Amino acid sequence: MGSIFRPVVILLSVIFASQLPIIAKADGHAEIEALRDEIKSLRSVYENRISELESKIGKIQGPSAISGASVQTPATAKRSVKGNASNPSIGMVLNGRFNQYTVDGEAEVAGFALGHEGERKGAGFAVDHTELNFSSNIDDKFYGSSTFAIAEHDGATEVELEEAYIQTLPGFMGDGVTLKMGRAFWTLGYLNEHHSHADDFSDRPLPYRAILDGGYNDDGVEISYVLPTDFYTEIGMGLFRGNDIPFGGPDGKGHGSRSMFARFGGDLGANHSWRMGVYKLTGESVSGRKAGHGNVVTFIGDTDVQILDLRYTYAPTGNAREKEIIVQHETFWREENGTYEDTEDTPGAGAVAVNWDRDKVGSYTQLVYKFNPQWRVGLRYSELIPPPAPAALSGSHIDGGGFTPEMTSTMVDWTNSEFSRVRLQFNDAQLAAGQNDSQFLLQYIMSIGAHGAHKY
Amino acid sequence: MKRYFIASTLMLLGVLCNNAFAKVSVFACEPEWEALAQEIGGGNIKVFTATHAKQDPHHIRARPSFVSKIRRADLVICSGAGLEAGWLPVLMQKASARVQPGTDGYLMASDFVKILEIPNAVDRSMGDIHPEGNPHVHLNPHNILLVGQELLQRLNRIDAANAEFYNERFQNFSSRWQQAIVGWEKDAVPLKEQPVIVHHKSFIYLISWLNLKLVGSLEPRPGIPPTASHLESLLLKVKQGNPVNVIMRASYESAEASEWLSGQTGVPAVMMPYTVGGDNESTDLFSLFDRSISLLIQNTSGNK
Repeated sequence: MGSIFRPVVILLSVIFASQLPIIAKADGHAEIEALRDEIKSLRSVYENRISELESKIGKIQGPSAISGASVQTPATAKRSVKGNASNPSIGMVLNGRFNQYTVDGEAEVAGFALGHEGERKGAGFAVDHTELNFSSNIDDKFYGSSTFAIAEHDGATEVELEEAYIQTLPGFMGDGVTLKMGRAFWTLGYLNEHHSHADDFSDRPLPYRAILDGGYNDDGVEISYVLPTDFYTEIGMGLFRGNDIPFGGPDGKGHGSRSMFARFGGDLGANHSWRMGVYKLTGESVSGRKAGHGNVVTFIGDTDVQILDLRYTYAPTGNAREKEIIVQHETFWREENGTYEDTEDTPGAGAVAVNWDRDKVGSYTQLVYKFNPQWRVGLRYSELIPPPAPAALSGSHIDGGGFTPEMTSTMVDWTNSEFSRVRLQFNDAQLAAGQNDSQFLLQYIMSIGAHGAHKY
Repeated sequence: MKRYFIASTLMLLGVLCNNAFAKVSVFACEPEWEALAQEIGGGNIKVFTATHAKQDPHHIRARPSFVSKIRRADLVICSGAGLEAGWLPVLMQKASARVQPGTDGYLMASDFVKILEIPNAVDRSMGDIHPEGNPHVHLNPHNILLVGQELLQRLNRIDAANAEFYNERFQNFSSRWQQAIVGWEKDAVPLKEQPVIVHHKSFIYLISWLNLKLVGSLEPRPGIPPTASHLESLLLKVKQGNPVNVIMRASYESAEASEWLSGQTGVPAVMMPYTVGGDNESTDLFSLFDRSISLLIQNTSGNK
């Protein structure tokens, strides 16, 4: 823009200069005459320059119109790029995949009614969740972050508000105390806090899909406290609306669900590190949690989920950049006490609510080995143990027929930089009687802009 | 109610625990800053070092243990300039108010020295380039002194009761250090203009201090591991009138690429200590520079 700006300045000074003699005349000084001559000569110089510049502008505008493409940066220009200390960090995650399955249509998981996020991803080429994240310190006391995901469910493109929370900054509530409010992937197990694009596998393990519908991101508030102990200890609790699976249909009176957790961690020498945690999430589905594809079941009652997680990392050469082994395990226990209604069997008024008081268990264990700075391989086994369903619910999603869904996954991924990763995964999925699903998943995950912090 | 009681008891316990610590608790991101803190703080401080010399400081995973250490720290000392961008921010969210940016407890070495290689333009296609400039500032001993001066002032403010102790130790360190610098600079005279290749540009401050001549890097772009085609082009460059006298890599960098180029050219590939603990000889800041310079002299003698 500089080349256009300059003639304007010159033009303005010429206009100003041409006005000057009129003001000066009033004084009637002899020196003014000399000044006037000087201005006259200046004016002719400027006029020459202006016409010169105008012809230049004409030349520029000729072929490339007003694109401003040929504006040159002065050689002395210095660009100082600092961290986005006072601007929000903005980042986007691009996530695309190609999936092939040997079982067509909707693959079921015996004994479980799945929500949207827990379902098997669609076959063929597909763009998965595209996430847009804004985050920044709000002021000296608060930090804020929001994540929108643009995703396609059943052919419709939806914008999901995955996270929108504020969090207190250190010093506001005392050392080690953090208060978080809004909607977030709450502290629950290992994976729940992480966005799925940070996972080591292309799909979430079975207990996350079947019990939490991918992840628990309800609306609410959570307080946590890091104890001043020598090894890592953090305790916390939360109160939530109770609107996200494993709950649903809150009445808005007080809170619908609550959580408690305790987490520990430490090092074993310089190259080994471990973390473990216990979590409890309890709540009520007041007007009912609906789930299941095309064959909806509704649960009304209390749900209690308890989780144990373990994670161990080891850098064999000391340098985790070169080689690293990560072992991770989580077990879920879910207890439901209430009524189930098979909404499809008897549509409308005649639906029968069946009493239900059952436990379910799910777990997964995974091993990831980075054998080269850019290459990793991984192995994961996950399984679910659904309880038997009463006769009145036979044939519905929650009737597992005594089948134990299980899945073995192997993956290899290539990480070019911390911003790009391509992954190939193969799943041997036996999720329902007679369904032997061989799944082939190819996925890329790339991020633009600010990169969310790596969690520990 | 019981739960609240437990939580508040624990909080009270926390306050008591913190006060019970007489020593200044220091969280050092890298071993060089631990060593500097030890020189000045001596027995009045307790240092935790997050990384060791065999770890690539660009790729550190935040560990649970870091959270407990930084939460109790009175001072955090790191290289800064984006070197710890991948793991320090998540820890800072759980750290105490005493070590937040802008406080006496937050010391980023690169804020107090002249930063080299500040790029005019940054794009991710250029590799892992720090927009703030090259963060490996500790390999110029003059920078160590500048950071040491700042550290002294911070310790004096954080632990005013022991100011005299810190001042004395700093004066002692400073005079020994300046003497050592004179010695190193004398020893390093024959290193002037010696052409070198580095694995990653983690030696820029050493190179600029000793007036070495940087011919190239084994990494095609910062942070991208060496590729066969890039190494071939580097080999061609060396053979076509750009002789090199030494190939340097840091203690945490893989030997493969530098050994290959060394085999092809006959130029010695040298593992430099890079930081305190990088090899058996480099046990503190003094021996780190002693060792670095003697390694360079050994491997370039006969080439001048």
